Amino acid sequence: MILSFTLDGEPRTLDLDPGLRAVDVLREHCGVTAPKEGCGTGECGACAVLVDGEVRLSCLMLAAQLDGRTVTTARGLGGAGPHPVQEALADRGGVQCGFCTPGVAVTAAAFLERHPDPTRAEIRDALSGNLCRCTGYHKIVDAVEDAAERMRKERGGRK
Amino acid sequence: MNVLFPATADAVLEALRAHPDARLMAGGTDLLVRRRAGAVAPGVLVCLERVADLNGVEVLGDAIRIGAATTLTAILENGAIRERLPLLRDAAGAFASPPVRNMATLGGNLCTASPAADTLPPLCVLGAEAEILSSSGTRRMPVADFVTGPGRTALEPGELLGSVTVPVPGGGTIQHFEKVGRRKAMAIAVVSLAALLRVEGGVIAEARLAWGSVGPTVVRCPEAEALLAGRAPTLETFRAAGESVRRAVRPIDDVRASAGYRRRVAANLLLRLAEKAGPAALG
Amino acid sequence: MSPLPSMGSRSRRFDAPDKALGRERFAADEYPENLLWAGALRAGAPHGLVRGVDTARAEAMPGVVAVLTAGDVPGANRQGFIYWDMPVLCGDKVRHAGDPVALVVAETREILAEALLAIEPDIEPLPVVDGLDAALAPDAPRVHDLETGNVLKQATVRKGDARAALDRCDVVIEETFFTPQQAHCFLETENGTARMDAAGIIHMTVSTQSPFRDRYEVGQALGIPQERLHVIAPFLGGGFGGKDGVTVQCLLALAAMHAGGRPVKMWWSREESLLAGYKRHAARMRFRLGAGADGALRALVCDLDYDTGAYAHLGVEIMALGLEHASGPYRVETLEANGRCVYTNNPVAGAFRGFGVAQVSFAFEGMMDRLADRLGMDPLELRLQNAIRRGDRNGVGVAMTASTGMAECLAGLREHPLWRTRGAWVREAPPLTRRGVGVAAVLNGMGYGRGLADMAVAKVRLTVDGRFRIYNGVSDMGQGNSPTFVRMACHVLNQDESGMELVQPDTDRSHPSGSAAAGRTTYTYGKALIRACEAMRDKLLHRAAMALLVDDVADLELAPGAVRHPATGRALPLALLGSKLHPDDRCCVSEAMMPVTRDVPEGGEAFRLGFPHLIFPYAAHLARVEVDELTGRVAVADYVAFTDGGRVLDPQTYEQQVQGAVAQGLGYALWEDCAAEGGRLLATDLSTYVIPGAGDLPDIESHAVETVEESGPFGMKGIGEVGMNGPLPAVASALLRMGLPMTRAPFTPERILAALGGDDS
Repeated sequence: MILSFTLDGEPRTLDLDPGLRAVDVLREHCGVTAPKEGCGTGECGACAVLVDGEVRLSCLMLAAQLDGRTVTTARGLGGAGPHPVQEALADRGGVQCGFCTPGVAVTAAAFLERHPDPTRAEIRDALSGNLCRCTGYHKIVDAVEDAAERMRKERGGRK
Repeated sequence: MNVLFPATADAVLEALRAHPDARLMAGGTDLLVRRRAGAVAPGVLVCLERVADLNGVEVLGDAIRIGAATTLTAILENGAIRERLPLLRDAAGAFASPPVRNMATLGGNLCTASPAADTLPPLCVLGAEAEILSSSGTRRMPVADFVTGPGRTALEPGELLGSVTVPVPGGGTIQHFEKVGRRKAMAIAVVSLAALLRVEGGVIAEARLAWGSVGPTVVRCPEAEALLAGRAPTLETFRAAGESVRRAVRPIDDVRASAGYRRRVAANLLLRLAEKAGPAALG
Repeated sequence: MSPLPSMGSRSRRFDAPDKALGRERFAADEYPENLLWAGALRAGAPHGLVRGVDTARAEAMPGVVAVLTAGDVPGANRQGFIYWDMPVLCGDKVRHAGDPVALVVAETREILAEALLAIEPDIEPLPVVDGLDAALAPDAPRVHDLETGNVLKQATVRKGDARAALDRCDVVIEETFFTPQQAHCFLETENGTARMDAAGIIHMTVSTQSPFRDRYEVGQALGIPQERLHVIAPFLGGGFGGKDGVTVQCLLALAAMHAGGRPVKMWWSREESLLAGYKRHAARMRFRLGAGADGALRALVCDLDYDTGAYAHLGVEIMALGLEHASGPYRVETLEANGRCVYTNNPVAGAFRGFGVAQVSFAFEGMMDRLADRLGMDPLELRLQNAIRRGDRNGVGVAMTASTGMAECLAGLREHPLWRTRGAWVREAPPLTRRGVGVAAVLNGMGYGRGLADMAVAKVRLTVDGRFRIYNGVSDMGQGNSPTFVRMACHVLNQDESGMELVQPDTDRSHPSGSAAAGRTTYTYGKALIRACEAMRDKLLHRAAMALLVDDVADLELAPGAVRHPATGRALPLALLGSKLHPDDRCCVSEAMMPVTRDVPEGGEAFRLGFPHLIFPYAAHLARVEVDELTGRVAVADYVAFTDGGRVLDPQTYEQQVQGAVAQGLGYALWEDCAAEGGRLLATDLSTYVIPGAGDLPDIESHAVETVEESGPFGMKGIGEVGMNGPLPAVASALLRMGLPMTRAPFTPERILAALGGDDS
C-alpha cells in the first residue's frame, strides 16, 4: 500500500504493508525515533504522537491509518526550535532517563492547547496515560505548569 | 493484511458483504492488543475511523444519540452529556487514559463486550437502546440485551452497531458511578457500580443499580432495588441491601482481585450513595 | 557573559534538551542498515528436563538466517559473573519459565515471530519449586545440583550474644514480614544491536549498566577473548539495577556470530522483559527485637530468607546487605542475623535499587513501630533516641567514622508542619475514610563495600578545536551522573557548558570504572574526574605559559574558552592551544577509589565481596495516608523526605533522585508484585503488573540535610538507593497507626479490606 502523510512538517510517501504498526513505520522506516516503545499495548504512552493535532498511541495504530494524516512527534513539536513544554521539561527537571519524555511532551502540548491554565490535578489526569519510572511525576507536573505560563506569556506578547 | 476505510455506514455494510471474514476496527485499542498477543489475525480489517455518519453526539429531545464510532474523549467533552448524563460522563472519565480515550469508541467498548466494560453499567441503568444496522434494515434493542456474555453480542453476521440512544433521566435523582481498579487511570475495573436513584420526599422512589466486573456481563440486582424502594437513602438502608447484592453477583478470581473481594466491594459501594445523598444520611 | 553556575546551585541538566526533543539516541533507537532480528524462545515450563528442541520447521522457513540451541554455544555456556550458574541457552534443564532454549536470527521481526512459534521444545516437566517453603522443604526437588539442597548460601553475622541478651530484655517484639518480587519496569526494555566485523571483533551497542564487566561475562560465557568484544553503552532508558549484568548481551553476541557480518538487533518486548528480566528478591524476614523499658535497643535476632529465583545473579551479595542493614539506622547492643539465599523456579532475582535493604527496611521499621506502640512512646522520638550517630558502631560492629546524618533527618521531620499537625489531620478524616501519618528512618550502604575495589578511571580531553570532552566510564541510566560530571568539569576547568562534550561509556574510548550501581556513580567517577580536570588545568596553564611568555603559572588562570593572564589582559584561546598540542598531550586520565572499613564483623568472612560498608546516606520519610473503608484503597496524600546525601551538588538532580526513588518505593508499597503461581507469572504485561501513574502519587517534598562527606567529591555521597527504602515502611507505619498491622507487601486494597475485618464496612 502506498502511504502518504506529513511527518514533522515533511511530506512522506512509502510503500508498506498496511498492517505494520505505526510506531515501527515512524521509527524503522522513517528513521524518526522520537516516539519510543515501552509496552506495545497502550499502557505507557511512550509512543504517543500527534495525529492531526490529537494525541494517538502509535503502537496501537496501523500503518494504513497514517495515510493522509499529519503526524507530529516530539522531534517536530516546536517547529524549528523546542516547544515551550520541551523547554520547561528540560529546565524544571522533568527529564531523567528521557525515554518517556517525547510521549510526555506531545501529550502535554496537546493538553495545554485546550487547557491553557490547568491545575496540578488536571495536569496529573492529563498525563495519567504516560508512565514514567524515574521522576515520580512531581517535576513533570512542575514543568507543565511552567510551560502553561510560558505559553500564556507568548500569547499575551502577540496581542 | 488489507485495511479498508469506508466513508459511510452503508459502505461499511457493503464491505462486510464483500468480505464476510472481515473484522471491524473502531479505535483498535483492544483489537490491536489482541492481535499482538496472537489471539486474532484478521486478513481484512474494516476501519471505522473515517465513517462520518457513525460519529457524533446528537440531542433528540429527552434522549441523546451517540454514534458508535464516537470516541470516549468526544463523549467526555460533550456539553450535553456533561450536563444531562453525568453517569456516562463519569464512566468516560474513568476510562483508560486520555490518549486511549482519543482512540477508543463507545461502540468499540460495547462490541468488545468485556465483563469490565466501563460504559456498560451506566448505559444499562439509564435504559439505553442500541441501534443495529444491516443491509436488510435497522433493529433496536436495549443495550442490556445487546451484550450477551464475555466477548459476545447480539450482532449477527453482516450487522453493525450504528448508535446508542440514551434517555435523559428526570430531575430529583442521585446518580453515582464508581470504578474500583488497581490504579486511578489505565485500570481495568475490578468492580464498578452505576446507580440511579429517584428520590421523592426524602425516600427512594426507584432504584436502578448495575455492576460491572462481577459476572459474565453487567449484573443487575432487582432484589436490592426493591429493598431500597420506599426507604430513606441512609447508610442503614444501603447496608441492609448488601446481602442481596452479595448473593446476586457472580465474580471470579483473577490476577486483579479475588471473587471474595469483588463480592464484598460490590455491596460496599452502595454505601457511597449515602454520602451522595448528603451529610444527614451518613448519620 | 552570565556567571558560571556554582556547585550547589540549581541548573538545567546537560542531557535534558536533547532528550526532551526526542533527539537522544538510546540503544533501542539503533536500526543499522541491513539489519537482522534476533529473539529467544522461552521455556514456558518453570522446571523441566530438556529432551530436545526440534528446530527443523523454523530452519526451513524463508528469511530465517539461523536457529541456535545449546549445542551451538561456544565457551562455557554459563553467565552470572560470580556463580556462573545461568546458561546462555538451556540444553539439559530449564529452571524458570523465562529460560531460553533456542535463539533465532531472521530477516524481519515478523519472520522471527513465526519462526519462534515453529520451534517445538520437548521439555519433561519436573515438580515446581514455587517459593521459599517449597524450596526449603525436606526432600524438595533441587533447582541446581547443590549439596546444600536449594540453599545457595547460608550465613550468620553477629555482634555479641543477642539470644542471651534477648532473654534479659524488658520487652520483646516478634513479627514476620514478607515482601514480593518487584520488576524494575524501566521504560526502555532490555535491548541492543551487535555486529561482528571482518576481523572477528563483535561491536555491541547495549542498554547496559555494566559495559566493561559485560565484556568479561560475555567473553567467559561464549569463549571469546575480551579484546574481541567492544561494548558501547548510550544513555539508558532506565536501569535501576535490572541492567546490571548481562540481559541480551550473550544471546546478541551469539547471534552476531551467525549473521554473516550483518548487524543484529534484539529488543525484548515488555512481556518478555517481565518474564525473563531480573527482579527484586522476594523475602521473608522473621524478626525478634528486645528493648529496655526506656526504649533502648538491646538485642535483635532475625532470620532472612531471600528467594533468588532460578539463578544466583547477585543474590548472595544482596542477602549480605540485608544482614548488614538488618538493624537499620540504629544503635543496637547485640545482633544475630541469619540469612539464606535460596534457589526456586521463580524468575531470576538480581540487583535492584535498594539492593537487599529495601526488604529489611520494612522489617526493622515495622519492629520500631510495634515497639513504640508497646512502650507507649512516640514513634519518631523512639527512632531519634536510638538513631545511630557518628562514632557509634552499627549493627554489625562497624564504626561509623563517615558523615552520619540520621538524627538530623529525623529532627527535620519532627519540626515539619505535616508531623506537628498530624493529630488534627487524622481527626478531620471524611466519612468512610481512615487516616494515619507514618514515619520511617532508613539508610543504604554506598559503594561496592569491601573486597571489590570500587574504582573509577576518568578521562578528559582538550579537543583540537579547544573544547573539553569527558569520557564517562559509568553508565547513565537517567540518574544524571554524566550531566553532573559536566558540571564538575565546568567548575574545575572554569568553563561554561558550551565548551563541553560528553561521551557515554564505550570500552574502546573510556576506561573501566565499574557499574552504574550502589549509589557510587557520581561519587567514585566524580572523584577521579576532579583529579583529571585538575591535571588538565595544570597542564594547560603550563603549556600556555610558554606561549604567553609568563614565568609563573600562578599568574595564569583558566577562563571560558581561553587561558588568561589577568595582569596584562592577554589570553590564549583554547582553540589555538588545542590545535598546537600533540594529541597525546591533550588528554588527562586519573583514578579514584572509595575507602572501605577495616572492621571485620563476626561472620562477615562468609562474604568475599561487597560486605561491609563504611559510608551510608540516610533518610527520614513521612507519609500521610488515607484508607477508603469501602474498597480498602490506600492513597498517599502527602509525602516528605529528609535526606542526608552529604553536600548537594545540584538541588534539581538531588530532588529527582529522591522523588523517583520514593515513587518506586510507593509502587513497592502499594501495587507492585510479580505474583507467580506454580512458577508462572500472573503479571505478564503493564496492565497486570501495575506501576503508579501520575494520578496515583502525591507531590513529593524533598529536603536535604547537608552533612559534609569529607571523602566525597565536593562533599557529596550517593543517594540513588536510600530513597527507595523509606516508602514501604512509612506507609506501613501510617497503616499501623490506623489499626492495620500489615506484614505483607504490597498493601493491596484486598489485603487492606481483609485487615479492616467484618463483612461490610
